[in-house]
Amino acid sequence: MISTKDLTKKFGDLTAVDHLSLSVKEGELLCLLGANGAGKSTTINMLLNFVAPTSGSATINGLDVTRHPIKTKEFITYIPENLMLYPMLTAIENLDYFSGITGRQLSQASLMGFLEEAGLQKDAFNKRISTFSKGMRQKVGIAIALAKDTKVLLLDEPTSGLDPKASNEFGNLLQKLRGKGVAILMATHDLFRAKVVATHIGIMKDGKLVQQFVADDISLPQLEKTYLETMNYKEVLS
Amino acid sequence: MIIKTFVKETKESWRDGRVRIAFLIVLLLLAMAVWVGAHQYQNVNEQYRTAKNTERILWDNQGEKNPHSAAHYGTYAFKPKYPLSLVDQGVDKYVGTSIFLEAHKRNEAQFSAAADQTGLARFGDLTPDFILLFIIPLLIILLGYNSFTKEREMGTYTLLKSQGASNWKWAMGKWMSLFIPIFAITALLFLITGILLSNLKDFGVFKWQSLLTMFAIYMGYYIIFINIVLIISSRAKKSGIALVLSLSVWILACLAAPKAASNIAEAKHPYPTRQEFAANVLKDKKDGLDGHNPWSKESKLLEQQVLAEHGVDSLHQLPFNFDAYRMQKGEEHEAEVYFKHYNYLKDQFAQQSKVYKGLAIISPYLPTRFLSMAVAQTDYATHWDFADAAEDYRIATQKFLNDHFAENSNYGDWSYQADANFWVGLPNFEYDPPKLGEILTDNTSSLWILGAWLALSFSILLITTKTI
Repeated sequence: MISTKDLTKKFGDLTAVDHLSLSVKEGELLCLLGANGAGKSTTINMLLNFVAPTSGSATINGLDVTRHPIKTKEFITYIPENLMLYPMLTAIENLDYFSGITGRQLSQASLMGFLEEAGLQKDAFNKRISTFSKGMRQKVGIAIALAKDTKVLLLDEPTSGLDPKASNEFGNLLQKLRGKGVAILMATHDLFRAKVVATHIGIMKDGKLVQQFVADDISLPQLEKTYLETMNYKEVLS
Repeated sequence: MIIKTFVKETKESWRDGRVRIAFLIVLLLLAMAVWVGAHQYQNVNEQYRTAKNTERILWDNQGEKNPHSAAHYGTYAFKPKYPLSLVDQGVDKYVGTSIFLEAHKRNEAQFSAAADQTGLARFGDLTPDFILLFIIPLLIILLGYNSFTKEREMGTYTLLKSQGASNWKWAMGKWMSLFIPIFAITALLFLITGILLSNLKDFGVFKWQSLLTMFAIYMGYYIIFINIVLIISSRAKKSGIALVLSLSVWILACLAAPKAASNIAEAKHPYPTRQEFAANVLKDKKDGLDGHNPWSKESKLLEQQVLAEHGVDSLHQLPFNFDAYRMQKGEEHEAEVYFKHYNYLKDQFAQQSKVYKGLAIISPYLPTRFLSMAVAQTDYATHWDFADAAEDYRIATQKFLNDHFAENSNYGDWSYQADANFWVGLPNFEYDPPKLGEILTDNTSSLWILGAWLALSFSILLITTKTI
């Protein structure tokens, strides 16, 4: 579903992403870990064709994202760190709009069904987004992915700022989507959540994918140790 | 997606209290302007009808009188108020409502509405054309300045782009969300105006097609503004910048450009001063026949010519009153003098108009204003047309009086008095203003310029939205 080959992005002298090759298949969830500036967000931005790669290629469902920018987005839902929706519209109106712009005509019942599936309380369906917490907005984001019948979910720090309960709920939703065959790429700093939800974990440093594991093959303490070693945080390790 | 975006934008705007209040204020202003305009329109027409009838009664009931005395007694040509002046008053307020028609002299229109007002008139009136030309473009700016910038500021832009939203459809949805409310508010105004006018009996001929033409012109004007506001919003980084830029365009297009165009036109083709004009007319009049002066060189020459033509030795032997004949010839000379000098003024006006209309390329306000006034028959060209018609009537009236004087009295018989019933024989002054087809033909350049603005703004909008 998601594939990159020697994907590289340079901003002047700075190489933000350096010959990155990765693959996320249906039902897999790859968590990209790494410090700020490691190239996680730039990778997502190249998959969304928001940023053109300097070299290499990125494909979604077999289609090159630079050559088929609109077509590839038909498969993608993107949830950024701080998902912003229209504050003057209700949750159901936001969902209706964002699913409608891709040509889907969904009934009110279907829209409500997606919001419910995303874990939003029923009494919030008709409340304006301006009254929503970040966790509630993330749930609407997941509802957008459900309504779109998305094949690929790109998440950029989706759990930062969420309380543990909201973070746990969000993780459960990701598992549910994975169960539906969605390929998920998540950039995060949250090692615990990565270990809990991911099928695969990668560690990026200076634009390179320097470590890659199957999530079940590594324990959380091992993951933490490996991460800190990779990042060269000697003072923390000692 | 177009409809979805339109619905979304409309909901957002309506739920934003500021927009709702602004919309209601504009509606209220429009309602007031139409109400005040309709009231004034009825009053002025009532006055027009009363004055016209009273003046005719006075003319018809002069009793026995010398025709030339009647010529000096004079009469008035009243300028009718046209139905669409309810929407656009144009220059009506400043050009006078009636022309005094008398012997030997072409007078200008007098009793303008502005002359009857105090200095407060400088602040202008609340008229529908003020709302249509100035306030609705401001409403468009208020509704649309942040159409695109707010998406960036709120962060929704990223989500939209990641959903694969088509830029063109997205922009069209936003375009519709500005167009539909503006269309509705304008259509409502024109519909109410049309219903009001079609129910006002005996107040000029109201034609729906003229009203619809005017409506189409204003919609073209608003579409240009919508396009400009969206272009700015799509390029600006912040809403504040978009607002300032949009307001700057409004100031330049609606306030600065008309004044600059007017100054340029006036500087290039200046009108003579009133004193210069009067002095030039007087000089040319003196160089020709004065009907009142039998001793002048020109009178003597005319006398000799007429005597020779009729083969007689004395003016008493002529089959008509030579005094009246000379009076008529004097009128004809004076009419020629006025024709020449007013033609010069008209020529200057035409040159100014040409410059002014050429400068319409710098602002969509200018062609809209020209077309609106022209269709409403309140522009300067219509006033010229009316003044010319009044002058033709004055010349015809003088001939009617002088001919009667000449044919019914003898040379030197200044005591002749026409019968009391004679005056009713003078036809009424009827002025038929230019028809819609002629008006549009005369204003083809404005139509082209407005069309060019439309095409250009749409093209730029399409190009800019491609690269949002």
